[in-house]
Amino acid sequence: MRKKIPYYQKKKIYGFLFITPWLLGFLLFFVVPFVQSCLYAFQDLTATPEGMAGEWIGSYNFSYALFRDTDFLIQCANSLKDLVTVPLILVYSICFALLLKKEYVGRTTMRAIAFLPVIIGSGVLMDILKTDVFSSGVKGAETVYLFSGGGLTGLFTAMGLSADMIGFINTIISKIFDLTWRSGVQILLFLAGLHNIPSYVYEAAEIEGANALEQFFKITLPMLTPMLLLNVVYSVIDIFSDFGNTIIQMIYNMAFTNVRFGYSSALSILYFIMIAVVLVIVYLILKRFIVHPEE
Amino acid sequence: MIKLMKAAKTPGTGRANRRLDGLVYRIRTGKWIWAIAKYAILVLLAYQLLYPVLYMISASIKSPVDSYDPSVIWIPKHLSATGFTDAYKTMKYMDALTRSLMIGLGCAILDVMSCALAGYGFARYKFPLRPFFFACVILTLIVPTQTIILPYYMNMRYFDPLGIMTLLSKVTGKGNVINLIGNNAAFFIPSALGAGIRSGLYIYIFKQFFEGMSAALEESAYVDGSGPLRTFAYIMLPNAKNAIITVFLFSFVWHFNDYYLSKQLLGTNKRTLIVALSSLRVDLAAVIGGQTTTDPIRIQTRIQAGCLLTILPMFLLYIVTQRKLADSIEHIGIK
Repeated sequence: MRKKIPYYQKKKIYGFLFITPWLLGFLLFFVVPFVQSCLYAFQDLTATPEGMAGEWIGSYNFSYALFRDTDFLIQCANSLKDLVTVPLILVYSICFALLLKKEYVGRTTMRAIAFLPVIIGSGVLMDILKTDVFSSGVKGAETVYLFSGGGLTGLFTAMGLSADMIGFINTIISKIFDLTWRSGVQILLFLAGLHNIPSYVYEAAEIEGANALEQFFKITLPMLTPMLLLNVVYSVIDIFSDFGNTIIQMIYNMAFTNVRFGYSSALSILYFIMIAVVLVIVYLILKRFIVHPEE
Repeated sequence: MIKLMKAAKTPGTGRANRRLDGLVYRIRTGKWIWAIAKYAILVLLAYQLLYPVLYMISASIKSPVDSYDPSVIWIPKHLSATGFTDAYKTMKYMDALTRSLMIGLGCAILDVMSCALAGYGFARYKFPLRPFFFACVILTLIVPTQTIILPYYMNMRYFDPLGIMTLLSKVTGKGNVINLIGNNAAFFIPSALGAGIRSGLYIYIFKQFFEGMSAALEESAYVDGSGPLRTFAYIMLPNAKNAIITVFLFSFVWHFNDYYLSKQLLGTNKRTLIVALSSLRVDLAAVIGGQTTTDPIRIQTRIQAGCLLTILPMFLLYIVTQRKLADSIEHIGIK
């Protein structure tokens, strides 16, 4: 008779069985390319019909990127500056999610509009819209976003604002587009999080006499913190890997226009390290605030 | 108590009175201000979110005459469909659309299957190195595609997973690598193995979802003699409808909207809609010829028409299914 494997032992084997496809994909399409990319970064590469051929040049690519290529560090700083939008995205999407939570006339329509950026807001489309809608291309560099016909600049001029002020206001208006069209997924996740908070918590708070503001800061926000972390991570990654991101374009051009494959790999690895550092810092800051409702 | 009941009973005996009471209540408590403010905010939000779409529609049907007419802001006086026909031709629309839909749908189905399996494994089974492997799932999310794109491309160009192709070539005598560039399989294979675009996120969603499900279902299935795979396929998956719809939607949308990988892995002749759209500005000048390149308004009309054509399939699909999709995402119940 076959020896019976105990249940807990079986569970271990089945656990592995379930993740086997992923493990295979992880090795083939992540570990292998990632290691290769790291190796590329230390070489001077040329493309040959049989694949990549290169010679070892040590850490030259890295030192070049950090100490001689002034462009890269400047672009990195610019990308880091973009992170300012993350808190704005979070505040905006929490507010929007709260607006979408309760039942009222027109809620379904509003929800459909709110999720629209998720469906159609690809990087390419946003890039085209930005160049076309904001600079209007034809009538000069005035923004037409939200205020068709370019009447806004004329209005401000009539009000006696200086050109700098108008420029500043226009920048803010064009940032609204960036902000709202990047927030689709975040709104969605927050909304899912809101629906996950059991209603008895609010009922109890109401009986205890907590007002709406107290309920938000003492129940809603703490209960949303796990979602908040997910959203912060998602937003950071989204901003760093955006189509219009200048570093992304730089890495791409370095490889496919300038044909400096090794250098491009080095840049991309430095970039990844930067992202990882940002995420670790964010995680360490947020970790203390996260509430685990089930415990 | 009796006093309170009396107070509640006295006003509003008739229907009209009761309505009036409601109104008085609202005015007294200031709730109507909140209601008006709320709808005002909603209208503003809706306007600024719909603005780009409205702009696209307005700009793409405008004929060039209207662009110089200051009285035309939203609704053009002269309609023109040449923007659409030109964009349609230049983008090789049907070809690109079929490819985009094939990749989107195929990858979405494969992603749901592979990621549900992995997510379930991570959620319910304790096996050695599990936290480490899950950290690896998150790692795949964090590393940008651009970091691994070069070797990734080379692996697809000379596809030889684990030396299997080399082994096969010894048997059959054919070439020891296949070229997957320009083949939709370059997207399908990673998705089938849970390594497609943002697959890590889907695994995360499934893991969170399955962790939220009651373990009693599985225990009773086990007691009734059903094995883990059977339990997964017949008990867990049918109950995971919300997670499946969510992951399917995300995967479909993100593969459909992907630019970077599509451009690299499909080669120059096989383009998805997004790739075709990205080079529309350049292509238009080449196709329509000299007389339009000097006219930025005509180019703009065609580009906006191209944008509209690109989002159209997704948009139509979304209009039809949005209620169901939004409901399942909202109530997915992940923490």
